[in-house]
Amino acid sequence: MATVAEQLKQSRAPKKTEDVGSIPQWKLMVRRFRQSKLSVIALFVLLIMYALMIFGDFLAPYPHNELDSNSAFVAPTKIVWGPQGPGVYGITQQLNQELLKWEYTEDPSIIYPIRFFVTGHEYRLFAIIPMNVHLFGLETPPGVTQKVFLWGADKEGRDLFSRVLKGSQVSLTLGFVGVVLSVTIGSLIGTTSGYFGGPIDNLIQRLIELIRSFPDLPLYMALAAALPLDVDILVRFFLITIIIALIGWTGLAREVRGKVLAYASLDYTNAALAVGASHWYIITRHLVPNAMSHIIVVGMLAIPGAIGLETALSFLGLGILPPAVSWGVLLRDAQTIQAVVAYPWLLLPVACLVIAVLSFNLLGDGVRDAVDPYG
Amino acid sequence: MLNFVLRRVVNMMVLLVVVSFVGFWIIQLPPGSILDVQMQRLRAQGGNLPESQIEALRQRYGVDDPFLVQYWKWISRSLQGDFGTSFQTDQSVAERIFNRLGISIGLSLTALLFTWLVSIPIGVYSATHRYTWPDYVITLAQFFGLSIPGFLLALVLLIVASQLWDQPIGGLFSTQFADAPWSIAKVVDFIQHIWIAVIVLAVGATAGLTRVMRANLLDVLNMQYIQTARAKGLTEAVVIWKHAVRNAIHPLVMSLGTLLPALVVGEALIAIILSMPTIGPLYLDALRSQDMYLAGTILVMLSALLLIGNLLADLLLAWVDPRVRLD
Amino acid sequence: MSDSATTQRSAAGAIVTEDDVIRVEDLRLNFYTALGVVRALNGVTFNIPRGKVLGVVGESGCGKSQTGLAIMQLTPAAGRYEAGQVLFRESSEQPAVNLLQYERNSAEMREIRGNNISMIFQEPMTSLNPCYTVGAQIEEAILLHQTKDKAEAQQRAVEILRKVGMPNPERIAVSYPHQLSGGMRQRAMIAMVLSCNPTLLIADEPTTALDVTTEAQILDLMRELQREIGTSIMFITHNLGVVAQMCDEVAVMYLGRIVERATVEDIFYDPKHPYTIMLLRSIPRLGVNRAMRLESIQGSVPDPYSQVTGCPFHERCPSAMPGICDTIMPEEIIVAGSQTHTVRCHLYT
Ligand SMILES: Nc1ncnc2c1ncn2[C@@H]1O[C@H](COP(=O)(O)OP(=O)(O)OP(=O)(O)O)[C@@H](O)[C@H]1O
Ligand SMILES: [Mg+2]
Repeated sequence: MATVAEQLKQSRAPKKTEDVGSIPQWKLMVRRFRQSKLSVIALFVLLIMYALMIFGDFLAPYPHNELDSNSAFVAPTKIVWGPQGPGVYGITQQLNQELLKWEYTEDPSIIYPIRFFVTGHEYRLFAIIPMNVHLFGLETPPGVTQKVFLWGADKEGRDLFSRVLKGSQVSLTLGFVGVVLSVTIGSLIGTTSGYFGGPIDNLIQRLIELIRSFPDLPLYMALAAALPLDVDILVRFFLITIIIALIGWTGLAREVRGKVLAYASLDYTNAALAVGASHWYIITRHLVPNAMSHIIVVGMLAIPGAIGLETALSFLGLGILPPAVSWGVLLRDAQTIQAVVAYPWLLLPVACLVIAVLSFNLLGDGVRDAVDPYG
Repeated sequence: MLNFVLRRVVNMMVLLVVVSFVGFWIIQLPPGSILDVQMQRLRAQGGNLPESQIEALRQRYGVDDPFLVQYWKWISRSLQGDFGTSFQTDQSVAERIFNRLGISIGLSLTALLFTWLVSIPIGVYSATHRYTWPDYVITLAQFFGLSIPGFLLALVLLIVASQLWDQPIGGLFSTQFADAPWSIAKVVDFIQHIWIAVIVLAVGATAGLTRVMRANLLDVLNMQYIQTARAKGLTEAVVIWKHAVRNAIHPLVMSLGTLLPALVVGEALIAIILSMPTIGPLYLDALRSQDMYLAGTILVMLSALLLIGNLLADLLLAWVDPRVRLD
Repeated sequence: MSDSATTQRSAAGAIVTEDDVIRVEDLRLNFYTALGVVRALNGVTFNIPRGKVLGVVGESGCGKSQTGLAIMQLTPAAGRYEAGQVLFRESSEQPAVNLLQYERNSAEMREIRGNNISMIFQEPMTSLNPCYTVGAQIEEAILLHQTKDKAEAQQRAVEILRKVGMPNPERIAVSYPHQLSGGMRQRAMIAMVLSCNPTLLIADEPTTALDVTTEAQILDLMRELQREIGTSIMFITHNLGVVAQMCDEVAVMYLGRIVERATVEDIFYDPKHPYTIMLLRSIPRLGVNRAMRLESIQGSVPDPYSQVTGCPFHERCPSAMPGICDTIMPEEIIVAGSQTHTVRCHLYT
């Protein structure tokens, strides 16, 4: 029979960092992670995206829901260099009678300057500090309502740039929080199931089997359709998070249970029990740290899927609902080929989504290779 | 073996009963009923239903019955093959579901076939050419494949195809073929309509499976029996395709169980963009209009598909790998 | 046979008999890895006389397996042959051919593998493919090299299984590897490699993973079959006890070189190289005073990434001569008064 030490080595758990004479495990992980260039780039991209999200209200020049009938489907505004620094040409709107389409013409004789740190609509920075300063805005004479649309406008004349920033606050957090929740539930239930065994284990296993008998997406759809419609956006946000968490935990719970079962039969768990350690002590001191790296990797790899799920539900009209915005909500505008051909900037939210999901995939892959080079 | 299948089938039946119960419960959760939704819609259009008809529908749908009674009505009728008549089209539910389910399953099986046909050779190539530039390109392409939402790909392909040649947009058939008997021209027309859907459906799964195939094959290529096979004097192609791939193929076989239902529903988004009459949009519509009998029936059918897929995957696995014991 | 053959010295200095099955000369193998170049073989020179069993011993990592693999050109992809020859002579009537002249996966090389030269690996648990029956795996080799007739191949597979002492060979042939014990799997492996009557068999620690009784049975079997078929064997092992039992001659390897080469008797009764002497001292023996501690070899094998000047063993050698051993690489020399005993050590020049 293999010794405990050998089995520990085989379980590939991070070793204690105070191991003398060898490089601490976490340093090795960092070193291995840095070897995969794409993952490092992905990490930076994500950090930037989250920074933009946090300062989203400050960066957005307009409220995400501000309608502007004079600006339906305005293309991204061209920035020009005027006498007072950067600015935009004056724009006039007229209806193309044949195509029944709004058209816009620039008037190079008028340049409205872009100003920085301008006062605009009220918001709360980090959802706490009340502020009304924005990074930039257009200075127009009284009576002129022209705006600067960095990424163009949608059919209601809403600023797409502001909407994407606002949408990121849902899309970049919902999936993340959902995965954190589901990973927590999964590890807790898996640990309980594996450690106590018997009827508790049996019950949990039946429950998992039941949940897994449902096809994922239809179940998510049914649950999302069952959510009340007339609640606050924040409440709906959390309800959807909980739905994601409630279904997603089963796979991890099974894996953790397996690890715990293998672990519970180890000599030193028995030894610890024999010297009077409590179940809780054993679980928190031995089992959880041992499975931790695996749990983190599973979580990292689940995030892109959860983000995609939120987007899909919102796209189907079952997730986040207008007037609230998420990237999925914005995608609804880009669902017909006619719209996309005529107004290609409507695909910018999709680009953001792809970049975020791609980065999470690359990051998760890098972390897995770093934590578990053989897995 | 027969024993195993029997036991699994019985277990499946039990699960399906529980699934139908829980599923129906979830679907009837939202307040209001299909009647409210429909009447609202009619009123919005300025029409109204005669009282007698409302009463008949009330009876038929058991709108005021307690949950257990509703469930019993639904399940007992369904077991007799009577899935009811859809409120919206007056078509029998069975007809609507089976028409669409058939298309969905056909589409998904094609996509699954595509997935295997592409991910096995690419995964093998990638593993046997590790750290060469084609391997890097394949790896990067996989990450894009995993990250691009299907409907975006559908849009892009539609745009490109319609710009380059006369790609028909939407539906399964052109109008002149819709009711025509099957002919070569109709088949060609059909393929023209569905190829985008098949590719789009398959891309995500293909990317995932290629990556798994590559990782598994790399593991297997380090095994001693691969050296043994080489030491026999077999060609490298035989070593890889006969000895290595067979041992690396487990996750692909298992994918049959999970991927099939995922594909069947995964097309919901794509079907909306490509306006294809498949099960996904029907389910979405049923959920939205609170047609709980229709939605419940579809949900249970998809569960059955999942469970059958899993059983088939297990049987296939036992056939591929003699170490898997069926008991 | 080789006793009567005349002996001579090869260009590389090793003693060769005229009828060698294989003659490896100055074989150099490097691995190019992400962490640097690993010099796995640094000029390996030896020969195996026809019909004899050559034992190859040495510490872990000294290059025993790589030598065996290089003969069949089964070296891992990262490895490159920098120099050397592998001269193979299928029978005394035929001229020697340099196997390294062929491409790795060329038809010529594949024709030799499994047919003229076969190899058994250390791990019986994993050396058979779990997805195919034992019979099918043996037939595969027979169909490749011996006959194209499936029925005949099947019959031969059962025959060879019976020959290696399998009870109920018909049933074993249709069993999968996981249904057999480790010893039975190794017998099946032996059946597989002997199915084509190879001229040379490379056995890489074939019994290391087995328990002592099974080990003895397998060794008996190999010895018996070797006598019967006349196959020459390159027997790689850690275990000097096994060498005494199995081999006619012994090559001792250290860090990618053969440091001593002699008959079994000479190695056990008249070892020359300090490394060989230390290896011998590290075997436990019956009847020796228990209080006397088993000697382990001090120090460890130098890092294969680095290159040592002088004799690679000088840092661990108790009789190292400063100024000589740490600066000059010893050449291979014939021990005085012997025809077949060579050693690479400054003590004997
Ligand atoms: N794929 C590889 N890449 C890099 N180095 C390798 C590779 N395979 C073997 N080596 C190196 O070649 C050297 C010889 O290895 P080899 O397997 O021949 O040792 P061995 O004598 O058979 O040891 P053991 O008794 O443990 O089997 C070792 O130093 C090893 O590090
Ligand atoms: Mg070895």
